[in-house]
Amino acid sequence: MADVGAPELRDLQSAATSHRGDRVFNRTITAAAFVALLVLAGITIFLGAQAIPVLQTQGMDFLTTSIWDPPNYGIWGMLYGSLLLAVIALVIAVPASLLLSVFMVFLAPSGVAKVLTNLVDLMAAIPSVILGLWAFYVLAPVSEQWQQLLNQYLGWIPIFQNESGNFSGTPFTAGFVLAIMMIPIVTSVTREVLGRTPPELINASEALGCSLWTMLRYVALPYGRGGLVGGVMLGLGRALGETIAVFFVIKIAFDPVNYYNIIESGGGSVATLIVSKFGEASGPYETQLLLAAGFFLFMGTLAVNVIANLIVNRTGRLQS
Amino acid sequence: MSTAEYEDVSMMEADLAMTAATSARTEMETRDVSVWFGKRKVLEGVNIAFPKNTVTALIGPSGCGKSTFIRTLNRLHELIPTAALAGEVLYEGNDIYSPEVDPVHIRLKIGMVFQKPNPFPSMTIRGNVLSGLKLSGMKRPNHDDIVEQTLTAAGLWNEVKDRLNNAAGDLSGGQQQRLVIARSLAVNPSVLLMDEPCSALDPGSTLKIEETIRELSRDITIIIVTHNMQQAVRVADNTAFFLATDGNPGHVVEQGPTTEIFGNPQDQRTLDYVNGRFG
Amino acid sequence: MSSTITFDAESLPRLEEQKPQTPWGRRTSRFRTVVILAVLIPAMVATMLFWFSAIAGPIIVVAIYLPLQIIAAVLAAVAVRGTKSAGDAVIIVSAIAATIFSLIVLVSVLWSIVTKGMQALSAAFIFQNNEYISPSTPLGYGGVGHAILGTVLIVSISALIAVPLGVMTAIYITEVRGRAVPYVRFFVQAMSGVPSVVAGLFILTVLILTGVLDNSAFAAGLAYSILMLPTVARTAEEVLKLVPDDLRTGALALGSTRARVVLRVVVPAAKTGIITAAILGVARVVGETAPLLLTALKNDKTVLNPFSEPISALPTYIFTNVAQPYPDAVIRAWGAALTLMVIVAVLFTLTRMLSTKRPGK
Repeated sequence: MADVGAPELRDLQSAATSHRGDRVFNRTITAAAFVALLVLAGITIFLGAQAIPVLQTQGMDFLTTSIWDPPNYGIWGMLYGSLLLAVIALVIAVPASLLLSVFMVFLAPSGVAKVLTNLVDLMAAIPSVILGLWAFYVLAPVSEQWQQLLNQYLGWIPIFQNESGNFSGTPFTAGFVLAIMMIPIVTSVTREVLGRTPPELINASEALGCSLWTMLRYVALPYGRGGLVGGVMLGLGRALGETIAVFFVIKIAFDPVNYYNIIESGGGSVATLIVSKFGEASGPYETQLLLAAGFFLFMGTLAVNVIANLIVNRTGRLQS
Repeated sequence: MSTAEYEDVSMMEADLAMTAATSARTEMETRDVSVWFGKRKVLEGVNIAFPKNTVTALIGPSGCGKSTFIRTLNRLHELIPTAALAGEVLYEGNDIYSPEVDPVHIRLKIGMVFQKPNPFPSMTIRGNVLSGLKLSGMKRPNHDDIVEQTLTAAGLWNEVKDRLNNAAGDLSGGQQQRLVIARSLAVNPSVLLMDEPCSALDPGSTLKIEETIRELSRDITIIIVTHNMQQAVRVADNTAFFLATDGNPGHVVEQGPTTEIFGNPQDQRTLDYVNGRFG
Repeated sequence: MSSTITFDAESLPRLEEQKPQTPWGRRTSRFRTVVILAVLIPAMVATMLFWFSAIAGPIIVVAIYLPLQIIAAVLAAVAVRGTKSAGDAVIIVSAIAATIFSLIVLVSVLWSIVTKGMQALSAAFIFQNNEYISPSTPLGYGGVGHAILGTVLIVSISALIAVPLGVMTAIYITEVRGRAVPYVRFFVQAMSGVPSVVAGLFILTVLILTGVLDNSAFAAGLAYSILMLPTVARTAEEVLKLVPDDLRTGALALGSTRARVVLRVVVPAAKTGIITAAILGVARVVGETAPLLLTALKNDKTVLNPFSEPISALPTYIFTNVAQPYPDAVIRAWGAALTLMVIVAVLFTLTRMLSTKRPGK
């Protein structure tokens, strides 16, 4: 009896699916489930394959210089511009979204909150091309006026300097449009997170004489921290990848890179670069440059999105 | 209470004399408190006096409105959107529901411990004890002393004194509940409401909490909702028996010294309940 | 001291007269006065400045009215409730301001689409295509008929691809429950973050530049389906999870195979939810522009063949007309935006109506 080892575990999972029809079914479904991976891998490989020859011909200058003048190409200004626009959008959208969700969760009567939830969702459903159209004709003229006022009263602060007197196509306006796109996305997450503050913790805070502010500061925000950060990062990912709405209101400028004069005309982002140069691409090499730019855009948004989802998922598990 | 309930005036006088002897003064009192959720009346005409530095147990079967009642005593009831109320709740002789009264002040003076231990998960043990000061904006000096005193009073100090900066979530359920008691004490309340504080705990922890309750009642007034009749006998000076019968709102059937309610109840339903015939 | 029977409904008729009250809602007259003053004074100051000073409107609202309102609210709160409630006053005023700001943006967007878009609307605009139309052609000739068809064609192609794949992905997660579930979920989430322009670039490199496909509705549909799949998969996963387990075990107990349980029991039970998932997916992509610019290009003619020719859709139509120097062309862009927004609004309303129904009923 020496060869009798531990009792063999019976594989219930495969026993349950031993029926032949079930095996076919399972394989089909499993194959379909891996399409997402296939697409992600495909994007990485095919766009990456376009990025390699570009890096070979342009060197690291492609990422570190800012020029679009044959035969020299560098997208540093656009990479930086994507970040700058995202930061402007975050500065506007994060407080607005948090306050909006605080209003919906803790202040508004439930009927009003329900209507607001639907309106915010409707706002999220507005296509970006429509938002771009609105931004071009309605927001931009108003925004130019605001920027002149900002420059007039706060021009001594470096970010509000403007020497050209041209307030159109500025990072400020583009960031503002991005903020409007982000608000409903971020709000839908933060509203959910704040709404899930356990009632027993709210009860405990109330019994300890909290005010709304102290309850948010010491209980609700720390409790939902992960979800809130994740929601903001999901919005950030969307902002980095947004193309059309920004395209209509930004003037693409490679040199000099507009580092911080946010109400000075000129800026850009990788996504808008692709759309603006694609139509006038002079040949396969320029198309390849845009594909390479797309590769770096994809890598950036993928990283932000993956981190955001990891944070959201981790807190999701903690809460359940 | 109406005089009609007494058979003769001399008995009433004797009663009053005894009440005066056992407790210096009434700290809290409810007068004809009735409670609604929306259109539904869940409690009717509750009149209870809570003498200072005593323990009063509220007993009765599930759904009789005990927990609802206790939440009217520190104005947590009003946080439920459909809640309504009639009658008066007096604290030190003043109606806590009169419009000049700040509910925050009431909630600080009348603390509360809930059924499920609910320490703040994002705070340390020390942070939890002091959380009431932060949340209410109350200024009290010597935080270290407060932490030690309240944790000692809650019977937890020796178990946690070496790990005050650990997360509160690391404690066991019974320890968490005692931490929550310490947290309530840190804002220096004069009344402590406890809504079935031991129902989620093991017998050992329950015993510890009961000891704590007895200790605390030397300095503060405790009102405790409990399902456990032995617990009422063990900790409470007075007991009130709540009952709600087929769709009618809950009300107090009988109240008085715990020994009387359990030893010599006047109402048949009380007798049946304390002897475990229903509920 | 003996215990007492304290309650006897018949002997206490006064309880009958009690009315439910909410004393916490009662306010002292002092409270009311303070709140009214705190709201009125800043508003009046702002109005006066607006009429009688040369200060620009935005400055009045942002730099004068808002700070003034916050200060007034803080003072009022301190006067009524003490210093501890100052923080609440700031938060409440800012939260209301943020809400009003968002509503103004939403109303402004919808209002401009409707008022400007209505100028373009006519039967011709809805049904005609843009062939023989130049940017300077007056309104009344030509329209978005071809673009509506294009949108319908492209979105249908993408739905045909992405809805089955998305639902199957969801079935893998909730029904097959293979070992890779966490990874599949992770990839789906990562995929939902793919920028639309990247989806377009991907189809462009893999299928168009390699000569496999022409610039066509089909290529655009493929790009759209990349964006649609994660939305469908995630929503379908949510609704499949809501199907009660009793249904599954019940069917298995009757001797069904797993495949049959899923196809005959689970999926039909979640039918409305799956339709909702499909609509949400369509709503997610219907306004996407960047992938179309890279894969479908544009075409002023009506195109019905999804494989051979470039094709216009509503987003591309808007895109090409936005910055035209001709006012009528711009009005056409608004008209197309209104048309697109109506489609989005219909889809949005459909999902709201469907999602109020529970699965399995």
